[in-house]
This record gives sequence, C-alpha cells and structure tokens, in this order.
Amino acid sequence: MDDRRRRFEAQALPHLDAAINLARWLTRSNADADDVVQEAMMRAWRAFDGFRGGDIRPWLLTIVRNCWRTSLGDRKRRGHVAMPDENTQLLGDELTYAGPSPESAAMRSDEGRKLDAVIATLPDEFREVLILREMEDLSYREIAAITDVPIGTVMSRLNRARGMLREKWLGEVESEASHAL
Amino acid sequence: MPCERAQQLEAYLDGELDAASAAAVERHLETCSECRKAKVQIEALRSALREKASYHRADPQLRARIRASLDKETPRPGVLRLFPGARAVWAGAAGGATATALAASLAFFLLMPAANDPLITDITNAHLRSLASEHLIDVVSTDRHTVKPWLAAHADLSPPVADFSNQGFKLIGGRVDFLEGVRSAVTVYRHGAHIVNVFAWADYDEALPDFATRNGYHIVFWKSGNLTFCAISDTSIDDILALSRLLKGLSQTDARE
Repeated sequence: MDDRRRRFEAQALPHLDAAINLARWLTRSNADADDVVQEAMMRAWRAFDGFRGGDIRPWLLTIVRNCWRTSLGDRKRRGHVAMPDENTQLLGDELTYAGPSPESAAMRSDEGRKLDAVIATLPDEFREVLILREMEDLSYREIAAITDVPIGTVMSRLNRARGMLREKWLGEVESEASHAL
Repeated sequence: MPCERAQQLEAYLDGELDAASAAAVERHLETCSECRKAKVQIEALRSALREKASYHRADPQLRARIRASLDKETPRPGVLRLFPGARAVWAGAAGGATATALAASLAFFLLMPAANDPLITDITNAHLRSLASEHLIDVVSTDRHTVKPWLAAHADLSPPVADFSNQGFKLIGGRVDFLEGVRSAVTVYRHGAHIVNVFAWADYDEALPDFATRNGYHIVFWKSGNLTFCAISDTSIDDILALSRLLKGLSQTDARE
C-alpha cells in the first residue's frame, strides 16, 4: 500500500461513522446514505492532496454534504423524489424513516424512536445544523463552512431548530423543568 | 415572550463566547427566569440528542466497499497476479462461503470485464426503478401458484418461484422487466427491510461474473436449466447467496417433477 493511501486510511477512515451519521440524517435512508458516503470518500480520496492539514472531520463532512446535495439534484432531474405513497410499506426504511436496523430499533426506547422521528421531520437546513452542532460538536465557524452560509445564519438556524424540537418533543421535559425551577 | 438575550444564551451554551461575554451571560442568568428556563431546555435537548437519538455507524460492508473502491484507484502492480481469473468459474457460485464471496467480489471489482458493464448498469437501474415504486410489482401475491403462472403468461418464462418466509425471504410478487431489451421475469422477495429482485431470462450464453457490486447493491448471477438468474439487493452478499441457493435447489426439484 502506498504512502498516500496509508495516510488517507489513517486520517479519513476513523471518521466514517461521522460521515454515515450525517448522511443518514440528511438522506433519511440507509441505502442512499451508503451511496452518498461511498461517493464522498472517493471524492475525498481524489482531493486528498488538496487537504491542507488540520482537522479532517469538517473537511470530510463538507464533502459528504456536497455529495448529498448533488444526489438530491440527480433525483429531482430523474423525477425520483422520494415521496411516501401507497407502496411505502413495501419499502421499509428506504422511504419512511424507521431508524437503524430492526434489531437495534427494537432495543431502543420509545423515547429515542420518537425523538428520531421528530428530528427527521425538521426541514433539511435546520436538521443539518442541529446534527453538526449537537452530535458532532462542531463550532459555528465549522458548521458555517460545511453548510456554506454565514455564521449568523448558522446561529439563527440553530435557534429555530431548537425551537422546533422543543415544541415538537420537549413538552413533557418542559413541565418537569418548571418543577425544577 | 423570549428574552432578547436568548441567542446569546445559546452561543454561551455552545461554548462560542469569550470569557467576558460568558461572565455577562452568567450574571444575566441570575436575574432572568426566562433564560434559566431556556437553559434547562437547551441542555435537556442536548443530552437527549446525544444519548437518546440514533447515532448511525458505518457497517463493515460499507467499510469493505470503500476499501475495494480505493483499491481500484490505487496503483497496485501486483494485483493481476493475485487475481488471475478475471471471470470466476461459472459453476463455482454454489459454494458461497463468505471468504470466497469476498475474494470473488473483490477480484470482480478490480478486474470486471468491461463488456459486462452495460448489463450490470441495466440491472442496477431496473432495481432502483423498482425501489422508487414506479414499477415494483405487477402481480402482488405471496402464493407461488399465482406468481408462477402469471410470469409464464406475461414473460413467457417459468422460473422457479416459492415463498421462503421460513428462511427469511418472503415472496411478495412478480413483474416483467426488460434488461438490455431482453424480456425477463422478476420475482420480488422481501428480506427484513430489504427488497431482493430476482431476474430470470433465457440463457443466451453471455459471459457473466458470479458477483458484482454497483452503487452499493450486491448482484449475484447464476445459471440453471435454460435460464440465467440475477439477484440484486442492498442486503448483504451472504443473504443474497442464501436466496440463490434456495432457488437453485428449487430449480432442481422443478426439473425432477
């Protein structure tokens, strides 16, 4: 294995989970997410010489997000917009969001499943900042670079995303919280 | 009415403020019950997102697939000698041990004969079309006595059909599809959350690999009697091989009857 390949595997492959997590939350489909990540890793590999060092994870996630945007464009052009319809039940988690594999889903709490479903209903631009901030723990500056918007927009989207999530999911926690204060 | 410092509070909780601004937010929190409440909520959301929501992880198949694609784009002069058979021997598909499958699919990945490319593209596209619900099933049935005659009437082909629910492959129907303009009979199985399309067409002696992977879909080919079969799905290659073994067994039973 040559040196470039070794460096790429050592630096990029440890972040495959971050890549697939972002892709699954963006696409809401396991098969689509795999394709997006596969494409993203190959683009990263080809562009690896242009990577200027530093934290590779935001760089990779930028590529993942770009691949997802491209795949959305392809789908729209081909008329393959994934809309739930009467055949949805045949397709399982391909179109309707059903979390990860059936086995691990069965082991997860109701609360976790409900939360997943609520996150999945957030509009793309709010869902992505929330995932990048709360699951990947990235800074506003990094999120701004990945999503290609100014930092102020990241802040207002994050604020809206949290507001929506609070409204849709946090009802019960809110009542507990008011007891606590 | 939200406090006008609500957004600054979020920046504070996100660790985005310098020490002086952070101290100012902390002082503000002492006097603003609205912001105290917001802080509790944001922290509750944060711990829920980190502890209760799904954090998806890459499965080993995806890892292997990426490595295989990297291999394809990494110059490796010794590779031709490592995998002398670009086309694996036809009859060998029945074995199906994981290692063999993996080696075969890797060899295939590296040295796929260009001539098979259009067919594999066509199969993948037909599979994708069917998943996009444009055309998954013409005859919806879990009963082989419905699906088999329907295929015979509409595709003029009589591939073996059976419901393998007990083995994890539920028959959900059949349809007619065209691959490179050739009519094929398709039986559709459901395996967990995955759809497996099994194409069958009249064998015309084309050279085919045993395995292929395209856009993350695994494809298994085999021949039986006067038909060529191809199963495709996003489930694991082992699962697809298991279904292909069941169907091969069925072909033999059909032939004896």
